[in-house]
Amino acid sequence: MILTGTEIGKRVKSGEITLEPFDNDLMNPNSYNYRLGDTLLEITDDVIDTKKPYTTSEIKIPNSGYILQPGKIYLGVTVEKIGSTKFVPSLIGRSSLGRLGLFLQITADLGHLGTSHHWTLELKCVQPLKVYPHMRIGQVSFWQPEGLSLLMNSYDKIGGNYSNYSAPKPSIISKFE
Amino acid sequence: MILTGPKIKEEVQNGNITISPFHDNQINPNSYDFRIGNKILVYKNEILDTRQDNPTEEIVIPDDGYVLQPNKLYLGHSVETVGSEKYVPIVRGKSSTGRVGIFIHITADLIDIGYVGQYTLMMHAVQPVRIYPNMRIGQVTFWKTLGDIVLYDGKYQKGNGPQSSQVYKDFDK
Repeated sequence: MILTGTEIGKRVKSGEITLEPFDNDLMNPNSYNYRLGDTLLEITDDVIDTKKPYTTSEIKIPNSGYILQPGKIYLGVTVEKIGSTKFVPSLIGRSSLGRLGLFLQITADLGHLGTSHHWTLELKCVQPLKVYPHMRIGQVSFWQPEGLSLLMNSYDKIGGNYSNYSAPKPSIISKFE
Repeated sequence: MILTGPKIKEEVQNGNITISPFHDNQINPNSYDFRIGNKILVYKNEILDTRQDNPTEEIVIPDDGYVLQPNKLYLGHSVETVGSEKYVPIVRGKSSTGRVGIFIHITADLIDIGYVGQYTLMMHAVQPVRIYPNMRIGQVTFWKTLGDIVLYDGKYQKGNGPQSSQVYKDFDK
């Protein structure tokens, strides 16, 4: 079951969902809009080797905007800290951005139960697209799970790789066994 | 929880789901196939700006098809008017569409509860590919909700034909 906007608001108040900072204007009928932080990372290797670390460079998005180019993957970050101890988050882009050809999360929209953090965004555009810092760029929904939760609120302790970051976090794919 | 095909049909008959026109032979085990209409929008400019109203032009897909090119964005629309005030719809391409490298939505597969209209399809081809009007292109699923429902009353409500992005309106706020 997916939570309605009203229910998301209630669960933020009760502390079971984290959306920080929270603004009621960002609520949708069944999701909450998150905003784009002002830092992007781009991968500077011509060919990415999934067995090796790769190099990135940081881009600060100016208030006058930054043009994303096709054929590249950019890593962004949410302004908000997002997560839940009770519901499973699914994080995607807004239809208004999809209508401009921006993929937000290339394929992995599913969050881990029990962790709250600023989310690293995987951005890819079809045509060049100018984006601005702090614009409303995506939406997160929350789903009720069934079954026992795995060490509630301790994804970090069980080897969570990407929690507790407040800046875009590059892939650690080369460290997987 | 996701609705099964027979439950989708039942809820269409009960008026809790709108799918119009509705045909039994488009029901799947846990989704409903929708078709693509014959109108496509493309943006006139190559470089798009989230802060501007980006101008578009309309293309009519002829009966002998239209070739989608990579590196270009196309906005299509469903033939069907779809929506629900009780369930949350989620859309995606048919696997047959994905197997030839066509994306029919980009990032936003989640539809707001209370939106009722034709779906705008955000189309992107990995390789050049020819599409035809009225072909079955995607599927819609319906999901149960938890909590009090406030219906969608946003800028894309009652969409008819492809609707281009209105995200620039955010910046006036």
